Amino acid sequence: MSNNADGLADLHWMFDMLHHIDVGLVVLDSSYQVQLWNSFMENHSGVSSSIAKEQSLLALYPELDTGWLRKKLDNVFCLKTPIFVSWEQRPFLFPFKSYRPITGIADKMYQNVAIRPLSSPDGSIKQVCLVVYDVTDVATNKMALSAANHKLQRLSQALSK
Amino acid sequence: MSTRVLICDDSKLARKQLARVLPADWDVEVEFAEDGQDALDILSSSAFDLLFLDLNMPVKDGYETLEALQSFEQAPAVIVVSGDVQPKAIQRVKDMGAIAFHKKPASSEELRSLLLSLGLMTDGDDKESKPTIAAPTAAEQFTLNDCLQEVSNVAMGRAASVLADMLNVFIKLPVPTVNILEVGELQMALDYSVKEDSCSAVSQGFVGSGIAFETLLIFSDSSFPDMAKLLGVTEEITRELETELLMDVSSILVGPFMAAIGKQLNIDFSHSHPMLLGQHVKIADLINVKKATWKRTLAVEIVYEVENYQISCDLMLLFTEDSVPTLENLLSFLVEEDE
Repeated sequence: MSNNADGLADLHWMFDMLHHIDVGLVVLDSSYQVQLWNSFMENHSGVSSSIAKEQSLLALYPELDTGWLRKKLDNVFCLKTPIFVSWEQRPFLFPFKSYRPITGIADKMYQNVAIRPLSSPDGSIKQVCLVVYDVTDVATNKMALSAANHKLQRLSQALSK
Repeated sequence: MSTRVLICDDSKLARKQLARVLPADWDVEVEFAEDGQDALDILSSSAFDLLFLDLNMPVKDGYETLEALQSFEQAPAVIVVSGDVQPKAIQRVKDMGAIAFHKKPASSEELRSLLLSLGLMTDGDDKESKPTIAAPTAAEQFTLNDCLQEVSNVAMGRAASVLADMLNVFIKLPVPTVNILEVGELQMALDYSVKEDSCSAVSQGFVGSGIAFETLLIFSDSSFPDMAKLLGVTEEITRELETELLMDVSSILVGPFMAAIGKQLNIDFSHSHPMLLGQHVKIADLINVKKATWKRTLAVEIVYEVENYQISCDLMLLFTEDSVPTLENLLSFLVEEDE
């Protein structure tokens, strides 16, 4: 049996872990108001959690205020199942700089985003969570590979003529 | 005078389960039919009071059976029991003369109150009744395929109802097929299901409680224009938009289906990010027989069709060989659990 102090300590390290994990975590309520903005999001965006939490995500990033994201978020609320956005369909959701600006090839961070429903104690879905993964290395490798293949194909065609 | 009841369902598991949840104090004679045609043959040779009818069956489905029954002089009362809970489906069967709709799997309390409310049975005086159907013996053990098919069937129905609400369309539900396939056979099965030359596919991995599988959603490329129409996309279809549509439709089709499967098996699966396996490729290139590291897979195949839209896509659930024992174990609990 854990007493209250233990419970608080548990919460404390759990929150610390969520805050510093190296993926972006954003929790939104049904009016897209930011409820959680972890340190990955703070550091890459330059927007502090206290500022982010006072507004809607669409106000924070006006370029995201299109039907596209709204539809995705609303689908998660109504389907109650996660929806995924891959870098192949949209290179990034948030305009962050690449983690390795000096030695990296890309200057933008490529992102995979999972939008997940969060169930409240009564089972209803009142919030969704955006999980933002940095997939810059995978994306640049894949693009370099297909560019190289393309080049090889052209060379072999030129040789066979 | 006992009530004569006919249970019509293509799944052996579903027939047995329904028979077992019939109220024990109800004086009934139960017979079984394996599909709509089978039921009609039985009904034309002898009279029954009540027919429990599944909707998604081979040979003759529930709708066709209801239609045929309208010309019967002594048609039984029909209660449709189906995993398909789309509002439109419920309305359709009621319009065709079914007196009630009950969702699958039926529980004994719910079924009892339904039968009482319809006046098909009177509340017995709780006499020491002898159950008409004995508990299943070991010899009656269901096969893995039966169970998996039924679980998929129920999941499919629930998913379709979510989709129907969201997209406001009627999803035609086929019968899921379950097979153990070798690598080469899987390729042939895929070849057969997608008749056109090129297709696009999205794969997503799932794992939980010792069960691992991949869902493979395969679209024939001719589905794109109608997919865009269905999702209310009006722009010209570019390659980026195709990727977008593939990802969206796969989230929408796979998500609710997986949620329903997970709920039945009581597993909260972890799932990977969906991967685009190929765009405009030949089926043969999706599954490379020479490079495959696995030999056999347990495959569940479901073909989705949407009424009034040219959309055909194939959802495959491919279980790894080492998940089979775990899956068998879990499913056997599922069969036992309806007491």
